Amino acid sequence: MNIVVDQGKCVGAGQCVLAADDVFDQRDDDGLVDLLDASPPAERLADVRHAAAVCPASAIEVRV
Amino acid sequence: MSIDAERLKLPLARPNVLDLAPLYEVLRREAPIAPVTTPAGDPAWLVTRYEEVRLLLGDKRFGRSHPEPDKASRISTSAVQDGPTGEYATEEADHTRMRRLLTPAFSAKRMRLLGENMERLVDACLDQLIAEHEQTGVVDLHRGLAFPLPVAMICGLLGVPEEDNELFASLSERMASTEIGEEAHAAREEFFRYMVGLVEGKRGQLGEDVISDLVRAQAEDPSFDYVQMVRLCVGLLFAGHETTVNRIGLGVLFLLTERSRWDALVADPDGRVDAVVEEVMRLGAPGDLGLLRYAKEDVDLAGVTIHAGDALVLSINAANRDVTVYSHAEEFDPDRPERTHLGFGHGAHFCIGASLARTELRVVFAALAKRLPQMRLAKELDQLQVRATLTGGVAELPVTWRSA
Repeated sequence: MNIVVDQGKCVGAGQCVLAADDVFDQRDDDGLVDLLDASPPAERLADVRHAAAVCPASAIEVRV
Repeated sequence: MSIDAERLKLPLARPNVLDLAPLYEVLRREAPIAPVTTPAGDPAWLVTRYEEVRLLLGDKRFGRSHPEPDKASRISTSAVQDGPTGEYATEEADHTRMRRLLTPAFSAKRMRLLGENMERLVDACLDQLIAEHEQTGVVDLHRGLAFPLPVAMICGLLGVPEEDNELFASLSERMASTEIGEEAHAAREEFFRYMVGLVEGKRGQLGEDVISDLVRAQAEDPSFDYVQMVRLCVGLLFAGHETTVNRIGLGVLFLLTERSRWDALVADPDGRVDAVVEEVMRLGAPGDLGLLRYAKEDVDLAGVTIHAGDALVLSINAANRDVTVYSHAEEFDPDRPERTHLGFGHGAHFCIGASLARTELRVVFAALAKRLPQMRLAKELDQLQVRATLTGGVAELPVTWRSA
């Protein structure tokens, strides 16, 4: 699995952090997405896909 | 049932505070973008299907401002989401600046750090309710928990004195009222003046709170209009308590009107509360309208042509019950496979307080299930007083856990 985030699109909603806080974080200064792990283990796929699905700005891309 | 050739008049009457008008199902199927007359008497489009509501919320061809605000359709007679807001020429830049200023203060991480404080507050509220219940046998969860928790949290975040809660709650209520006409607008003016007083009082001694942050940012940025800044503070205080108070109420009603729902949560509060909160966010349907947008250009969608300047009412309530997206869409089922909803909106205007609200709701429902497992409603659903405001919800939540 490979994850790409687009900080230009991100609106700082933090939905991804709630879905998978071992993979996504929010930067302290502007609240935008901070990708902690660009290729997490396969068993995280369901939560990562959920994070991408709930992102209100469609700023997360998951490639498997 | 079929749709009248004449324009539908909003709001569509609902059978009770939990269910929606059955006509929404017909609209989603036959006229997902339907011409309607708003409660203010003006034309608008009512959008009811998940697909189009989500699309429109994320589409920059639709905004909250209007090039000629005086000519724009008015939506309701309340003073919230009643017509266009913001400057047409600078809407996007203004909004981007606002998000940039506010996002860090409402981030998921910060809200999690508030969790323990919330748990203490909820426990204190419940201690008091339990003591009261020993005397009276019935207590009002609205007054004793649903209201004080969100108020305390938003006051702390914004730096608003908590002892002002009766004043700003009453101003919020009047501002959102759909039944008092011009009085609602007078309340909005009064709320504005209250906020000016608060802002000016802070200016000499700015602190670590969101209103102080906004005062600092406005003082440093000549393009940040003072009136706009004060309105933003009013909006945050209004939305920061009004919405969550209602959502706690609706959640309690969904859980207690069908015992099996409550028993399932009681059996495993920590394991089930997140899913319960998401289902309360999906199915809870406060108010009878929706989110308001104006088209910036002509757009063809779902068989209709929306013209530049047209108003659209995006029914989150209807979209969240779309049978083409959700299995047994009208049923409260936290175990459903579909995990997304539009309860916090979508796109650039996605609710900035979503993580705050989620954290509050999780703490509240987990604590209720753990400490008051025998709780039940002390009145029938139909007897509860429903609030005549844009944000809806109930004005009381009488419960008891006395053995019957």
